[in-house]
Amino acid sequence: MNFALQLITAGLAVGSVYSLIALGIVLIYKCTGVVNFGQGGFLVLGAYLTYALRAAEIPTPLAVVGSAAGMAIVGMAAERLMLRPMARAPLVAIMMATLGMMILINAVCLMIWGSDQRAYPALFPEGALDMFGIFITYNYIAAGTLSIGLSLGFLAFYRFTNLGLMQRCTANNTKAALAIGIHTGNQNCFAWSMSAALAGLGGTLLATLNGLSLGLGSIGLAAFSVVVLGGLDSLAGAVVAGLLLGVLQTLTAGMLTPILENFLRAYTSVYSVGALQQVVPYCLLVVILLVRPQGIFGRKGTERL
Amino acid sequence: MLRHLSPTIFAVLFTLALLFVIPWLDRYATYLLISVAIAAIGALALNLLTGMCGLINFAQGALMGVGAYTAGNLGNAGWDILAVPAAGFVTAIASLVIGLPALRLRGLYFGVATLAAQFIVDYLFKILEPITHGVSGLPIRQLRVLGIVIQNDRMFATVCVLSLLLAWWAMYRVKNTDLGRSFLVVREGEIVAKGMGIDVAHTKIWAFLISGFFAGIAGALLGFNARLADPEAFTLGLSVDYLAMIIVGGLGSLTGPLLGSLFVTLLPEAIQRVAESFGIASLLSALREFTFGLLIIVFLIFEPRGLSALFRKLMFQRDARNRKKASYLNNSTQQPQGEETK
Amino acid sequence: MKRLFRAATVAAVLLAAAPVKAAEITVCIWGSLTGPDALVNGISYAARDYLEFLNQTKGGIAGHKVRTVLLDGRYKLDEELKNYRRCVDREQAVFVNGWSTGAAKALRDQINQDAVPFITQSGAGELVDPKNLPYMFIPGPTYEQQIIIALRAAAKSGGRRAVILFPDNEYGRGPTGIVRQSGEAEKLGLKLETIEFPFDAQDITAQMLRIKAFDPDLVFVQGSTPQVLVALRDAAKVGLPASKFAGSANSLGPAIPKQLGAAAEGYRALVVFSDFGSQIPAMEQIKQFMKTNEVEKKDVFYMRGWFEGIVMARAIEAAVAKNGGKVPEDIAAFRKSVRNEMVGLKDVDTGGITPPADYSNHQGTTQARVAVIKNGEFVAVGDWFDAR
Repeated sequence: MNFALQLITAGLAVGSVYSLIALGIVLIYKCTGVVNFGQGGFLVLGAYLTYALRAAEIPTPLAVVGSAAGMAIVGMAAERLMLRPMARAPLVAIMMATLGMMILINAVCLMIWGSDQRAYPALFPEGALDMFGIFITYNYIAAGTLSIGLSLGFLAFYRFTNLGLMQRCTANNTKAALAIGIHTGNQNCFAWSMSAALAGLGGTLLATLNGLSLGLGSIGLAAFSVVVLGGLDSLAGAVVAGLLLGVLQTLTAGMLTPILENFLRAYTSVYSVGALQQVVPYCLLVVILLVRPQGIFGRKGTERL
Repeated sequence: MLRHLSPTIFAVLFTLALLFVIPWLDRYATYLLISVAIAAIGALALNLLTGMCGLINFAQGALMGVGAYTAGNLGNAGWDILAVPAAGFVTAIASLVIGLPALRLRGLYFGVATLAAQFIVDYLFKILEPITHGVSGLPIRQLRVLGIVIQNDRMFATVCVLSLLLAWWAMYRVKNTDLGRSFLVVREGEIVAKGMGIDVAHTKIWAFLISGFFAGIAGALLGFNARLADPEAFTLGLSVDYLAMIIVGGLGSLTGPLLGSLFVTLLPEAIQRVAESFGIASLLSALREFTFGLLIIVFLIFEPRGLSALFRKLMFQRDARNRKKASYLNNSTQQPQGEETK
Repeated sequence: MKRLFRAATVAAVLLAAAPVKAAEITVCIWGSLTGPDALVNGISYAARDYLEFLNQTKGGIAGHKVRTVLLDGRYKLDEELKNYRRCVDREQAVFVNGWSTGAAKALRDQINQDAVPFITQSGAGELVDPKNLPYMFIPGPTYEQQIIIALRAAAKSGGRRAVILFPDNEYGRGPTGIVRQSGEAEKLGLKLETIEFPFDAQDITAQMLRIKAFDPDLVFVQGSTPQVLVALRDAAKVGLPASKFAGSANSLGPAIPKQLGAAAEGYRALVVFSDFGSQIPAMEQIKQFMKTNEVEKKDVFYMRGWFEGIVMARAIEAAVAKNGGKVPEDIAAFRKSVRNEMVGLKDVDTGGITPPADYSNHQGTTQARVAVIKNGEFVAVGDWFDAR
C-alpha cells in the first residue's frame, strides 16, 4: 500500500508538469484552432533561459520570471512571424510549421548551449519530507505545488477576468468576437505568449526535477496524449488528464511492469516489457480516440476541419 | 522539347541516365544516391496518403520499419528479391490496421492517432524479440536477385533506382485513374466527395493500402541497405523527415516527393561540406537542424506548393515569356499553354 | 532544358570523388559530437587531438603528417553507416575510430570485407572475436566483464541481493542479458533482479521505488554517464543512497558529482583509464598540447581518447617502419599491415593512462580499478586488477 502511495505521489508530481504543458496546448487550440506541436520546444527553451539567467547571477525568483517573460516574447514572435502569414493555410501545413518551429528551437538551444547535460541550479532547498512512510523531496513538492498552482491560477484567470473573457469569446466564435470589437489578432498573440510562458515555466520546473538537457522536449509529445484525453478544448480537462496520466505512468512502471514481466517470463521466452510506461499513454490515447474522441471533458464536434 | 515527351518516357530516360552514371560514383556518393532513391519511394508513398488524400500520417517511420523487418526476415529465409514486394504487402496491411480505426476520425485527431500508432509500433519492434531481435536489431543477409548476390553499393543502387522508377510509374498510373482523382476530391472535402457519389471509406482504404505498400518497399530497401533492421532507425524522427520531404517538395504533385527527398537528403551533406571548409564542424549538427526547421517554415509560408511549383516556374518561365512575345508579334489571340499536371 | 543540365553538372561535381593525395596517412574518427551521449565525446576529440599533437611536436608519425577527419555520428545508425563509407572510401582512412555498438555490429561484415582496422567504443563482448572479427578492436574490458567485477565485489563484501538497472537499448540489454544468462550471479550466491528503463526517460522514480522495495546491496547501472545521472538523481528522490550504486567505466563522468552534489557521494565506478589531471606523463603531454590548442573536454573520457590515439599511432608507426619508413601506396596493404601491427602491440607505454597495453586480445587493457565519489570527485581506491 505504501509502495502504491509513493508511486501515486511521484506520479502526481510528474503529472502536474504534464498538466502545465497540456494547458498551453489547449490554450492555443481554443483561441486559434491551431495545435502547437512545438510546445516541447518552448519547454526546453524556457528551461535553458532560466539556466542562463541564473548563471548570470540573477536571483532565482527574478530568473524564473525573466525566463517566463522571455518565453512570452518568443510566443508572440511565433504568432506574428509564423502563424499570421499562414492564417489561411491548411491544417497539415500549420501543424508541420509548428513542428518545424520545434526543430528550429532545439537547434538554437543546441547551438548556444551544446548537447551536454547540465547541472540545474537548485531552485528549491535540498532535503526531503518523510511522512507516513512516503519519502518525497522538497523539489518534488515544490514543483508539483507550483505546477498545480499555476494551472489553477490560469484557469481562474481565464474564467474570472475580462481578458480571460475576451479569450473565451475569440475561442468560441472568431467572427462574432470580431463583430463585437475584440481584436482577435491581439487575442491570438496573447494566447501564444501565455502558452509559451506556461511551457517555459513547465520546462523550468521539469528541469529542477530531472536535470537540464535537450531531451526535455520529448515530454511535449507525451503531452498530446494528455490533451486528447482531457479534451482538446477543455482547460480543466488538460489539468485533470495530466495528473491522471502521470499517475498512470508511474503505476505502470512500478507495478504493472513487474507483474507483466513475471507472467511473460513464466510462460513465454519474452524477458522484458521494456519501456511500457512510455507506451501506455499512447495505448490509452488510441482507446480514447476510438471510444470517446472528444476526451473526458471535451464536447463533441469540437474539431475545426 | 522536354515538355512534349510523355512523362513515362522522360522518367525512363532519366533512370537510364542515372544508371549510366553509377559506375563513376565513389561509395559515398553511391550511398547518397541509394538514400535519395529510397527516400523518394517513401516520399511518394506518404504523398499519396497525406498529400493527395489529405490524411496526416505520423506513422511513416513505423510503417517503413514494418517493411524492413518483414523483408529482413523473409530475405534471411531465402525469399530473395521477392522479399521486397512481400514486405510491401505486409506493410499495406499494417497501414490499413493503423488507418481503419482512424477512418472515423478527421484531420487533427487522425494525425494524433497516427502519432500514437508510431510510438506503439516502435515499442513493439523493441519487445517482439523472436521476430525483430529487439533492440539488438535484426541482421539482414545480403539481397539476392535471381541468384545474383548484391554485393556492393553500386549493384544495390541499381536495384534502388529501378525500384524508384517502378514506384513512380505506379503512382503516375494511379493518379490518372478515377481512384486517383477521388483522392484529391476527398482531400478537399469529404462532404463534397460524398455528394459526388464517391465512396469515401473505400477511397481511404485504397489510399492506406497503396501508400503502405510503397512505404513497405522503401523500408525493405532500407533494411537491405543497412544490413540491419534496428528500432532506433524507425522513430518519429523519420516520420517527420518524410513529412518535411513532401511539404518542401510540394503536396500532391508527383515531382514534389522526388524533389523533396533529394533536397532533404542532400541538404545536410551540403551544409556539412560548407561547414567543414569553414572549420566550424562542432556547430554542424545544430546548423543542420536549424536549416531544416527554418526551411520547413519558410517553405510553408512562402511557397506552400513546394519545390515542384518553384521548379515548374523556373523551367517554363522562359518559354512562357517567349510565347507571349511571339503572340504580341503575331497579334494572335492564342493563349499560352497551361501548366501540365505531371 | 539548359538549366536542368547545368544543375545536373553541379550535382555531379559535388558527388564526384575528390581525388585524395596518394600515400597519405589518414585517420578517420567519428563519435557522438552531438546526441544523447555527447557527454562522453571527449574520447573522439582526444583521439584526434593526440594525432594533431604528434603532427605539431614530431611532424606526424615517422615524419609523415597525419590527416585527421573528425565526424559527428549523432548516435544515429544511419549517420554512422554513412560516415563509415566516407571514411573508408572517400577519405581512404588507414584506421577508423568508430562509436556505437549498433554501428559496429551492423558493419561487421563490411569491416572484414574492407579489411580496415576499426576501433569501436563499444564494450560488447561479442565484438571481441579475434577469429571472426580480426579487424575489430575495443578499448578496455567488455561490459560483461565489468558487470561481473561489480557482482564479485558485492558478493565478497557479504552482499545477498543485486540489481542490474539498464536502459532499453542494445547497450543496456545486451550485456545484461548475457550476464543474467551466464548464471554468474547465482554462482556467487546473489539474488539478481534486472530492471529496465526507457533509454531517454527523464524520470525513473517508479523504477527506483521498485529497487527500494527489493532492498539490494548493489545496484549496477549498465549505462553511460547520462543514464547514471538520471538514476542517481531519482534515487535521491526516493531516499536510496548513492553508495549502493555502481557503474561501468563509461559512468566516470565528472558531471555526476558536479551536477548531483551530495546525492552522488559514495557512488562507485570502474576505472580503466586514469583521470584527467593525474600525475602521469600523458598528462604532461596534454598540458603541453593545451598551451597552443583548445581542448574540448577535460575528463576521463578525454584520457581514454588519448590512449586510443597512442595505440593507433603505434600501430601505424610500426607499419610504416616495416615499409622502410615510407607510407605504403596500396591502401589495402597498408591497412592490413597496420592491423597486424595492432595485434602485435605488447607492453605499450600509454603514458600512465593505463598499465602497459597489450592488443593481442583485441582489447588493449583489461586492468581496472575502483573509484568512489568522495567530497565531490572520483577518488581511486585499491590497486589495478585484471578484469577477466
